Parts: sequence; structure tokens; C-alpha cells
Amino acid sequence: MTDATRETYFISDDDLRALAGDLLSAGTEVIAPVAVDVCASPSAIASSACLRPGVAPVDIEYRALADAAELDLSRGLPVLSLKQYFLPGHEALCCWRQHGTEVEIEAVPTTFAPRVVLAAKSCDSAALAIVDKVMNWDYQDELWNGRREATTIVNLACPVVDESCFCTAVGTAPDDVKGADALLTPVEGGYLMEATTDKGRVLMEAHGARFKAETDTHGAKHRGRQAAEERAAARARVAANLEIDAESVREWIDAHFEDPLLAALGVRCNGCGACSSVCPTCHCFDIVDEEEGIGKGTRRRCWDTCQAPTFTLHASGHNPRDDQHSRYRQRINHKFAIYPLKFGEVLCTGCGRCTRACHAGQDLVEILQAIDIAARRPDAAAAAVAGAEPAGS
Amino acid sequence: MNIYQPQLALVTALTDETHDTRTLRLEFEDEALRDSFDFHAGQFGEYSVFGAGESTFCIASAPTRKGFIECSFKAVGKVTSALREVNVGDTVGFRGPYGNWFPVDEWKGKDVVFIAGGIGLAPVRCVIWNVLDRREEFGDVTIVYGARSVDDLVYKRELEEWASRSDVKIVTTVDPGGETKDWTGEVGYVTPVVEATAPMAQNAVAVLCGPPIVVKLTLPVLDKLGFADEAIFTTLENRMKCGLGKCGRCNIGPVYVCKDGPVFTAAQLKELPAEF
Repeated sequence: MTDATRETYFISDDDLRALAGDLLSAGTEVIAPVAVDVCASPSAIASSACLRPGVAPVDIEYRALADAAELDLSRGLPVLSLKQYFLPGHEALCCWRQHGTEVEIEAVPTTFAPRVVLAAKSCDSAALAIVDKVMNWDYQDELWNGRREATTIVNLACPVVDESCFCTAVGTAPDDVKGADALLTPVEGGYLMEATTDKGRVLMEAHGARFKAETDTHGAKHRGRQAAEERAAARARVAANLEIDAESVREWIDAHFEDPLLAALGVRCNGCGACSSVCPTCHCFDIVDEEEGIGKGTRRRCWDTCQAPTFTLHASGHNPRDDQHSRYRQRINHKFAIYPLKFGEVLCTGCGRCTRACHAGQDLVEILQAIDIAARRPDAAAAAVAGAEPAGS
Repeated sequence: MNIYQPQLALVTALTDETHDTRTLRLEFEDEALRDSFDFHAGQFGEYSVFGAGESTFCIASAPTRKGFIECSFKAVGKVTSALREVNVGDTVGFRGPYGNWFPVDEWKGKDVVFIAGGIGLAPVRCVIWNVLDRREEFGDVTIVYGARSVDDLVYKRELEEWASRSDVKIVTTVDPGGETKDWTGEVGYVTPVVEATAPMAQNAVAVLCGPPIVVKLTLPVLDKLGFADEAIFTTLENRMKCGLGKCGRCNIGPVYVCKDGPVFTAAQLKELPAEF
């Protein structure tokens, strides 16, 4: 990851928090990981853990900081990705007012106030760069682009969360800067920070007093080695979770639409769509009208999921994907074959959230392994399917 | 104005085609747009009733008829039921035109065979008028149209108009049991009527649209008559929301119906997974 054009600076733990404070004082929104009391979160489903006295389960979530002290640098994985800040769960596309037979349309703004994301996961910033492609392949989605342009993203090198992580298998890495403007790597006493885009450089220059240049001293060399070792170790840890040949996987899926392996993959899925909600790259949406009293309302787009039976249901009652197997196949096909074919990118950053969120035990690491085996060794895949075929088939 | 914001259009006429199918004529409120709006036969749009939402249909009028657009729809869902409630003088929303189109210019000098079932005549009607408005550029024009019953035939006035022309051959049919006492057309399903009509395949193209079963059964008949897969055109209408290649719902394998379609040749259809 060393790049001669990138200058590295040291920032202490205190100065990083102070930087967040400076931004907040200047009125800039700062989005960053925050430890949240699960039992107090309105979005949390009351967990049995909340009923036990003395237990305070904590989730990490990306939140707009109210105070710099909230910044959580423990490097745990936020429950939801950064997607919600670029493609909100629901957002206005336009508003209407009706006076008799006349209608007046009110446009929504497509420019946004500058904001900064601190300590983002590389799997979350990379997802934004991947989704940029579909948002701009012909028609330009100004709402997405407006938020992208207004946001400066600073990644924090990830130590790898658990065995569900597989970013290196899909072309990114725990210390990748894809989709981000700067990278922080933890070292003794603080972080090394390097800007990788002009937006990142502007941010660092504006807060120059918080940074120390890493000159050619013994301490700087030590920190540089420490950061490189930390990052290499994280890469090795995640690579041990899964290794696939993404191009062979794409070719295999493309050529085996009707293969029993693809049908068998969805056997445990019951279509709840949790995977799509937590996924940083799932971007499918619905458009609905929300009436706000008589004669006025807002047209909104809302997250949707290809796992729901209504997703493709025609008004006639015909449904091109009328069983869960075909809907799960669509999910895999879209991410690992269709999107790479159309946009040259796998629609997955290996964050592993879908696996952790799935209450039916669908494990994307296992699934990709099975497809990779099929792509490399067709006989082994057939044997794997024989063991996983749905009952009665 | 973002890409999801609709244009406003006035409903200037409505026609009840059948007991459940209606055609609306729309004129853009924005005068400049009314004059400049252009599209190709086969393109579609997102029509909306504010408060009910948006729905996808083809533009059923011909691009050679300027100043307005028309859509025909069956009231079966939330938006189409709301569209059925609008009156002349009401305002609706429209986004478009989207998608690809029938390559009408490439058909110059060829015979054109139109085959439609039920409301499938709506996208075909657009092409029929487009061809008839430039009649001298094409060879023989044949129309085979069928519906479940006489009542279910759409564009009845236009069927009569086409039948009265000497430069159009038209065969209309209704499913067995769907005929009335004074019905003078054929009785039978569209597919065998196409076979019996036996249009010449040489130097001809076929435009086919209807319920999936009609398309599925008619393709082999066209093949038997000698039509090459590349000379058979159809239009697909998967469920869509954005129409812009973003919302992720209309794809058939790697093909986005909203962007790569909705018009496909039979040769292209055969390359796609059977998921439409």
C-alpha cells in the first residue's frame, strides 16, 4: 500500500478526537462509529439479553456525532453499513400539492452540506465506489452523486472482525482506500494518516495543526513498520477465511443458470430480506407515494429486496421469480455475475454482514466456496449438492 | 430537477376500450416540452397519479402524431385503478421516454406482420400507426389480432379503420365462446389464426406482443412459416420502478428490460434465462 505520492502524518488519539470536535464546532456533520446501548436503540429488536439485570449489550453503529466524545475507535463492525447515508432507507424524490385539478411539484435539493465520515470500514467505503457505477451508467442519480460529492471519507484500517469477513476474496482489503479519501492505521499512541484523494488532502490541510509530519526519525520508522505489519497481518487473517477466483465464479454462474447447485443454495433462505438491509452494496429500491393529508404528499424511494416475492410480481399475477430458490439465485447472480459483467465490479465487498444477519444460517463464505469448487472442479460440486439438495427433490 | 421527478401532463381525452381497459390522451403542461417531446415506437414511460404512485406502460400513440401521447391500461392494480378515476382536465405525472425501440427505419421496403393478443395491441398499435403514417416506405402490412371475447378487443374504432383500408390486411379473432351473434371475424386462438393466415416470411418482419402464452405458442408457428428469429420482434414489460436502470427489478439474467429492452428479437429472447 505504500505509495510515493502519499504523504503520511501522525495524529495522536487525542488529536483525532479533537479533530472530530473541530469539525463539529465548525458546523460540519461528522458520521462515525458510536457504541450504542442495544436495549435503548429504537431500531433494535428487544433482545432477551436486555431482560437480564446488569447486562448492557452494545452495538456499534455509524451515527452523526452529537459530541466528539461519542467517537468509538474500537474498530468493531457497525451493524448497518454507510449505505444509509448515501441511499437513505427512505428519501423524498419530489413533493406535490394539488389544488383542484392542478398539481404543483416541488423539487427536492440535490446538493448537500459538506460532511465527514471518520473511521469508516474499507468494506463500506469500497461499496460506495462500486454502487457509483450503477448510479451513473447512463442516467445520473443526482441524489446519490450529491451526497457522494459532499462527503469526505476517512477509513480506519480494519483488524478483521471474524470468520465471516472475506474482503480480500472479492478484490478489496481491510486497509483498502477504494471509495475513501484518507486512511488511518493504528500505531503506538495514535494513528498514521494518509490522504489518497484531493478531498482527503483538503481535510488534512484544513486541520494541519492536529498532524505531525512523519519525518525520517527512528520513531517514524518504527511506526511505519508497525503500521505495515498490522495491515499485512489483517490481510493474511481475512485471506484465510476465503479464497476464490472471482472471474471463474462469474463465468460459472453465467453458464450454469439452471444448475442444481444454484437452486440448492437458497434452500435455507426464507426471504426475510435482512441480508439486503445490512448489505453495503444492495441498492435496489421501490418508489412509493406517501400522502400527507388531503392534496399533498411526497414521492419517496425506499430500500427494497429481491428476496421478497412481491419484488417482481406483475399486476396480472404472473411472477417471473415465483419461488425462493429463484430469488436467492438472483441475489447471487446479480452480485457475482451480472454486475461484474455490466460494470466490471463484484457487487460485494466481503463485509460478511449478510451471513451474520441471517437467522436461517445462510453463509456467503460457504456459498462462494461451493461455487468456486464447482468452477474449478465440477465433480466435487456435484457431490456437495447431493448432500445439500432440498428434501423431496 | 432530478431524474425521478415527473413532468406534469393534462388528460385531454379518454376512451373506454373495453369494460376494464381505458386509453388516456395526455398533453404536457410545459408548452416547450409539448412541442419538443419526441420518442420512438416501442419506448415506454412511468405514468403517475399523485398519491397512488407510478406505473409502467408503453407509449401507445405513434411518434408520427405530435403534441400528445396516449397510454392504454387495464385497471388491475393500485395505480391503474387510480388512473381509471381521472377525468379530462385532471393532471397526471409522466417520466420518459425510456428504453429502446422497434427499428422501424430498418424495415423500409419490407412486409410487416403485426400479431397481438389482448391488451398486447397497445405497444403494437404505436408501431402500426408509425408504419401506416409512412405507408409508402413499406411492403404489405398484415395485422392479426385476437382477444378473449368481442368485448375484450381494444381500439375497436381503429380496427374498423384499418379493415376499411385497401393497403392493410387485417384478421381479427376471438377465443371460442367469446363471439357474439353478429361477430364476423374469426373464432379461434391467435396462434392457429396466424398459421392459417400464413403471411409470407420472405423479406418480412413480424411484430409480436401479447400474454406470455400467446408469445410462447406463436414463436414456433412463425418459425414454421419461415421467419428468422432475427426478423421477429417483441416487447417485454417486466415490473419496473425507476425505468432508468437503477432500481434493480426488471432484469432477466444480465439484461435490464428498462435499458436493454423493452424491445427484443426472438433471437435475443432465446439467449435469456427463462425468467420472464
